[in-house]
Amino acid sequence: MILLPRGNPVREKVNPGKINLPEALGKLQKGSFTGYLRFEAANGTGVIIFSSGKLISALYEEGSERLIAYDAIARIFELSLAGRMTLDIYKLSTELAMSIHALLHGDTLYKGQELKLIDIKSLLGKFKADKMSGCLRIYTDEKIALIFYKDGTPLGFFHDGSTDIETSADASMSVAKLPGAKIDVLSSGGADDIELADLMASADLSALWKKAQELLVKDKQSKQKVESRNREMAQKQRRIQLQSMLRTTAEKHIGRIGVQLVDKEMERHIPEEADWNEALLDKLLSDLSKAAKMVAGPKAIKAMLGEMQKSAKAIA
Amino acid sequence: MGMGMDWTMITLPLWVLAGIVSFYFSLGNARVWTSIAVGFFLILVAEILPTAIDFLPGLEIPQVQAMTSIVGTIAILVMSHGFQEYYVFSRTLELEGNKTLVYLGTLGVVLCSAAFIWINITPDERTLEVINIVENTNWVFLSLINIDLIRKIYVNIQDSPISKGFAAFIFVFAFIFLWKGSELYINVYNLDVLAEQGQYLGRYQISMYCKEIGNLLAGLSVGGTFLYLAKLLR
Repeated sequence: MILLPRGNPVREKVNPGKINLPEALGKLQKGSFTGYLRFEAANGTGVIIFSSGKLISALYEEGSERLIAYDAIARIFELSLAGRMTLDIYKLSTELAMSIHALLHGDTLYKGQELKLIDIKSLLGKFKADKMSGCLRIYTDEKIALIFYKDGTPLGFFHDGSTDIETSADASMSVAKLPGAKIDVLSSGGADDIELADLMASADLSALWKKAQELLVKDKQSKQKVESRNREMAQKQRRIQLQSMLRTTAEKHIGRIGVQLVDKEMERHIPEEADWNEALLDKLLSDLSKAAKMVAGPKAIKAMLGEMQKSAKAIA
Repeated sequence: MGMGMDWTMITLPLWVLAGIVSFYFSLGNARVWTSIAVGFFLILVAEILPTAIDFLPGLEIPQVQAMTSIVGTIAILVMSHGFQEYYVFSRTLELEGNKTLVYLGTLGVVLCSAAFIWINITPDERTLEVINIVENTNWVFLSLINIDLIRKIYVNIQDSPISKGFAAFIFVFAFIFLWKGSELYINVYNLDVLAEQGQYLGRYQISMYCKEIGNLLAGLSVGGTFLYLAKLLR
C-alpha cells in the first residue's frame, strides 16, 4: 500500500471504470494539472502524478509486485475497467508533486517502525550527517504526514489537506503524537536526479486503454466459459444425484425393474447434458408411474412417487 | 360321461368366477394385462357353451359347437400374446397399444372365425373333432411355451410386488397342460370310442380323471391367481 497524505481533494471516490481515463488524463494535461491520482483497489494501489500538466510518474504496487510507468498505467486501466478501483484526485504544488514523485521512486530504508520505539533525534542526526534526501512518513490508520529532507536539511511538512510543503510542523507532528503512530524512512536519492519525462507525450494511452478493454472482454469471456463449465458440472452433478435417488427409491418400492424404468425415463426426459426442473421431473414421474403399473399397484406407486418428490425437493 | 357331468357342476362355477375376476381385472389394470385377462375370460365362454347345450335350444348346431373350440383356441392365443408382450416389456421396458384395440381386436377375430364357419360347409363330426384337436394342441404346446415365458418374466421382475403373481401363473399353465393334454391324448387315440367298445378302459379313466382334475385346478388357480394379482396390485 502506498501511503501518501491527501492533498487538496479535487474528486474523491470516483469509479474510474465509468469514465474514459485517457480522455480524463488528457483533460488534466490540458488543464496543466499538478497533483496526483490515487487508484485504490482491494489488494493494491496505483498513483499517477502530474506536474504542470505532465504525467511525470506512474506507480502500481500490489504486495511485493511493483510496476512503474506504462506497465503501471496499463494495470491501473485494467483494474479500473474491471470496476475494482476507486479514484481520488488531489491537487498539490509543483514542488510537492516533484517531491512525492522522487519519493515514490526512491528506496524504503525503514518501514512500519513504531514511533515510540525510535530515537527520533539520532535518526534526524543521521539524516543530517549523511546528507540524505528523502522523507520521514509518519502515519496512523487515519492520518499521514510527510517531512521532506534535502541533503540532510528539512525542507518542510506535508499533511492531509495541504497542497504545498509547509514550514509549520504542528499538523505533521500532531500525527506523531497519535497512539500507534508509525514511521517509514524513505530515501528519494534526490528529486533532481530523476528524469522527468511526460509519459503521455511518449506513448498513446488510448492504445493502452483499448488493450485493457480487450483484455477485459477476454477476461469476461474466459470467466463466462469457466462459469458455464462450472454450471454444466453442477447440472451434471444434480442430474447424477437425482438419478441415484430415483433409482434407489424405485428399487425400494417396485424392485430391480424400477431401476431400469428410472434409467429409461431419465434418458427420455432429462438427457445427460440437460438440467432438470420441476416440470420435467413431473413428466418423468408421470411416465414412470404408468410403466410402474406393470409391476406394482397404486399404493406402492403412490408411496414411491411421494418419496421421490420429497427427495427431489431436497436436491433442487 | 356321467362322471363328466358331475365334474362340470364343480368346474363350471369356478370358471364363471375366474372369468368374471379376470375380465374385471382386465378393466382396471395396465394395458398388457388386457390380453392375458381377456384370454382367460374366453375360457369361460368356451366352457359355458358346451355345458349349456342341454339347457339352451340351438346350441347343438354344429357351427356353434365349432365356434366353442375356436373361441378356446383364440383364448390361448390371446393370452399367449399377452404374456409375450409382458416379456417384451420386461426386457425392453417398452409399452404400446391400448385396451380398446385389444377388446375390439379379439372380438374381430371371434367374428371373423364365426363368419368363416358360417360361410363354409356345415361341420360334421370329424370336422368338429379336428377343430377340437387343433384347440387342444394349441393349448398343450402354448401352455409349455407360456410356462417358460412366465419363468423368464419372473426372473426379470423378480423382486417387484407382482412377481409372485407370475409364479402363480406357472401353476395355472401346468394345470391347463394336464387338462388339455389329457383331452388331446383322448382325442388322438380315440380313447372315448375305444372305451365305449370296452377297450383301454383304464387309460381312458385315468385320462378323464386327469382332464377333470386339471380343469378343476385350472379354474381354481385362474380365479385364485387373478384375485392374488388384484391383491398384489392394490
